[in-house]
Amino acid sequence: MSNELNGLRTKRVLEPAGWVLQLITGLVLAVLVTFHFFETHMIHHSAMEYENVILRLSDVRYKIMYGLLLLSVSFHAFNGVRAIFLDTNYGSENRRFVNILLFLAVIVAFTYGLLLLFSF
Amino acid sequence: MRWLKWFEFRGKSLFHISYSLHRLTGIVLVIYLVMHLSYLTSIRIGREVYEYFTSTTLTPAFLIFDILLVLAGVYHGVNGLRLILHEFGLGYELRRPLLYLCYLLTLVLWLYASYQMYLFVMGV
Amino acid sequence: MDVIFRVRRFDGEKSYWSDFVIPAKKGMTVLEGLYYIKENYDGSLAFRASCRMGICGSCAVKINGKPVLACETQILHLNSTTIKIEPLDNFEVIKDLVTEFDGFFTKHEAVKPYLIRKEDRYSEPEELIQKPEQLYAYYKYSLCIKCGACYSVCPASSSRDDYLGPAAMTAAYRFIADSRDEGDGERMQIVCGDCGVWRCHFAAECSEVCPKKVEPAKAVQKLRFRSAIYMLEKFFIRW
Repeated sequence: MSNELNGLRTKRVLEPAGWVLQLITGLVLAVLVTFHFFETHMIHHSAMEYENVILRLSDVRYKIMYGLLLLSVSFHAFNGVRAIFLDTNYGSENRRFVNILLFLAVIVAFTYGLLLLFSF
Repeated sequence: MRWLKWFEFRGKSLFHISYSLHRLTGIVLVIYLVMHLSYLTSIRIGREVYEYFTSTTLTPAFLIFDILLVLAGVYHGVNGLRLILHEFGLGYELRRPLLYLCYLLTLVLWLYASYQMYLFVMGV
Repeated sequence: MDVIFRVRRFDGEKSYWSDFVIPAKKGMTVLEGLYYIKENYDGSLAFRASCRMGICGSCAVKINGKPVLACETQILHLNSTTIKIEPLDNFEVIKDLVTEFDGFFTKHEAVKPYLIRKEDRYSEPEELIQKPEQLYAYYKYSLCIKCGACYSVCPASSSRDDYLGPAAMTAAYRFIADSRDEGDGERMQIVCGDCGVWRCHFAAECSEVCPKKVEPAKAVQKLRFRSAIYMLEKFFIRW
């Protein structure tokens, strides 16, 4: 066990902001994922046919909803992975690398999803 | 491999087990998210590719994976709401009843969602 | 009734199990059993103990897989003929049941667990008045005896060496919640580092095993909420 606590030196606002946003996106996701499940599986059984998917993707209200879902889920997922990495000694030694890598992952996942939303 | 201790249940209470499961389901859901996003690209490529994908995945053989995925999702969601409540400093004294409630709710929602997916895949 | 003690031994190179038969009587504690071994079977058995009444926090060991104070656990209450005794997890074992507590106390020291006043006037000392409800705001957290049981079950402590751990953060909250203390900001800077409160994901196992019912999990949740608000407020005001 090391007597030196290297985790004491850090960007102080990054961690609280990440934590608060993780909770907020968690709440948003609980609502939106439930809705997502409802409208793909329960409202009507042809929801997953090609025309219906395109129809939904062309609707502005759906675009906004999916955009929000996408943003929340990318952040929540990769911030969660970041927390898992930082829980280990590897993460404490390579904090900056982990933070940058997972931040890029959020950006990539979000823009990749947006490509789909803007194609229709 | 010290992180394997996160998943060691021997001598631990249900609280620790729900923490381990939360982490495990979280990882499963991240993997699924990546798959889901890449899968959706097929919509952009064209109708044939998309229909090829849905015709293989929306089948009774795939239902078991879907049901397990929904279990992971429902558990992560319900347990996550419990954690958010506690992390805002609320309901700490009720943590044991809330934990049981969380498992009960997971079971109920999972069975309901599984039934709905069964109907959907079977086209009833 | 005879009970078998299976003790996890470590001699600096290899670890192994030793079995001893203890004639257990009603009211006999596990710690008394360990002393019995030391006096009658094997004088080389190493374990820590001091007060024998649950005050000093020296004798925490893992009994049948759960960390408890050996002096507060009665042998016959365990209802088993074989009792497994192991050193605490997440600590380096020095010998047998004795573990290295240096890191644990370094972390405790790091959160400045003492009253911080803006000005100390020792020449003319003044009384610091506190109402009962101000006392109750932190009283429970001040009962910690630093036995390390919470630290040994914490999943974040198991995988990250520099994580402050439940005991140190409870100590930090105990002083932050104290109405006489004026060192909030200083202490929050420390617990807000990435080896601090953010590594807790509410496994709440610490509260389950705490022999003094200090409820470290609650303290950490409250501490995290307060420090998050403090840090974000500071960030946006500076902006």
